[in-house]
Amino acid sequence: MRKLIFVFSILLSLVLAAFVTETNFQFVIPKGFPKPVYDFKKNPLTHEKIELGRKLFYDPVLSKDSTISCATCHSPFTAFAHTDHALSHGIGGKFGNRNAPSLSNLAWGSAFMWDGAVNHLDMQALAPMSNPVEMDESIAHVVNKLSHSHTYRKLFFDAFGDSTITGEFVLKSLSQFMLTLVSADSKYDKVKRGETDFTPNELHGYKLFQKNCSSCHTEPLFTNEKFENNGLYVDATLKDSGRMKVTHNPDDYLKFKVPSLRNVQYTYPYMHDGRFKTLTQVINNYMGGIQQSATLSPQLKKGISFSEMEKSDLISFLYTLTDTAFLHSKIHNSPR
Amino acid sequence: MFALTPMRKTLFTLLLLLTGFFSRAQSEKEITISIQPKFQNSALELGKKYFTSTSDTIQFETLRFYLSSFSFYKNEKQVFSETNSYHLIDVSAEKTLTIKIKVPASLQFDAIHFNLGVDSTTNVSGAMGGDLDPINGMYWTWQSGYINLKLEGISSLCNTRNHEFQFHIGGYAAPNNSVQHVILKTQSSDSIIIELPLDIFFIETDLEKINSMMIPGNEAIELAARIAKLFRIK
Repeated sequence: MRKLIFVFSILLSLVLAAFVTETNFQFVIPKGFPKPVYDFKKNPLTHEKIELGRKLFYDPVLSKDSTISCATCHSPFTAFAHTDHALSHGIGGKFGNRNAPSLSNLAWGSAFMWDGAVNHLDMQALAPMSNPVEMDESIAHVVNKLSHSHTYRKLFFDAFGDSTITGEFVLKSLSQFMLTLVSADSKYDKVKRGETDFTPNELHGYKLFQKNCSSCHTEPLFTNEKFENNGLYVDATLKDSGRMKVTHNPDDYLKFKVPSLRNVQYTYPYMHDGRFKTLTQVINNYMGGIQQSATLSPQLKKGISFSEMEKSDLISFLYTLTDTAFLHSKIHNSPR
Repeated sequence: MFALTPMRKTLFTLLLLLTGFFSRAQSEKEITISIQPKFQNSALELGKKYFTSTSDTIQFETLRFYLSSFSFYKNEKQVFSETNSYHLIDVSAEKTLTIKIKVPASLQFDAIHFNLGVDSTTNVSGAMGGDLDPINGMYWTWQSGYINLKLEGISSLCNTRNHEFQFHIGGYAAPNNSVQHVILKTQSSDSIIIELPLDIFFIETDLEKINSMMIPGNEAIELAARIAKLFRIK
């Protein structure tokens, strides 16, 4: 009897193998990085799913009138940020009320959006897809549109072994592509790996950074993944209360997610509403523009001061967070 | 539910054959639970104009909700629980009103437990399929979380655009978790009817004052509790 079971299970695995063409993708945790937050067991990476997610990321089919793709506001050449646009614009040229953030190292993210309204990377794409000023579309209709495409039905079959497209499959494949957007090869990383050295100015900037900035922009991700009030005055037209909108907790008034500073050289303009165009403006605001309030981060209460020289060194250091390989990565770019 | 492709079908048949051969199948039976939303003493009909005792009108357009975590109890002890127990009930889709649960043939019970809504763990676990697929329109997009219950319609009592009322009740994170645990005493039976008469909800909820709910919070929890307590065994 046992023998029979054995033979049958061999036969079964052969049959299975004949149908499953997926090839696993090995997610590498960069040296010194913590354990990812994303549970890969629930959505194991395969080359087919990543490629499908990549195609979806660059496809305006996700928007109501097929004009806006994810990449419209998250361009690969600027670390998936929306350079030059303070507030991102979507369908029909309508404006949102926040700046499109850079996308990298999302496997380590625990909450998404500036106010953490989204609790899981899989669910993130639903927000811009459904927002009337971004893509103005619904996941149900996206699935319907994709199901009419022979190309997509084949790609979904190759990726999931099932040509019936579901919302779950769309979201999971988008996650797979986004998870591969790992930025860990900047000059800073190379210095940490002992492959090169900072210049004296960069090193001085690094020390200033560690002393004044790293409690929130914590290495190696350059964010503590928390919500902080960094003392910005309240924009009179946007009146954005930040994290409080989600939690209804007054202690969260004016708190926003601490963004990573990786590739910060290219992710301007800065802040949740893109109010600052340059890093110098950002640093100046930390020096003289901090608005005192009940929810202000304690670290900022005393204010920070830098000399002109120090400012310049700090910026030199921030430029070492630029990951050129990431910015020019062919596998992250639009599929041809 | 996902459709089976031919290849999946082949695999599925193979697996079925195998399990048929080798598992000394524990004898099982199926319990059918029929969910019957009611209004004014008969099955709730979408689109029908009901008149209240005060001659106001109520017309239902949507009634959809999640029932989850079905389990059976005997003498206060759990004797069986359904795995992966998530059921989207939609009054506009007849077949969703019947839930079939495979249980051991010998199962004896004196109570059924279930939740109105989706548990918080599932709410933070990423994309799901089947009844939990966001494609079903029971997931908030602007802020993560399942909508546990959608109740929409038109009433002359509502001083809103087109006299609409719209309750989207959800919220999974403390202190705004709106999931409601329901316990119903019953006798062992293979066919159970659970009624949901909504009349009392509209007595307790003044549509002139409350006619829209779109966010988690205390009010959403209160509304969820008002509905959950109305479930009863026929």
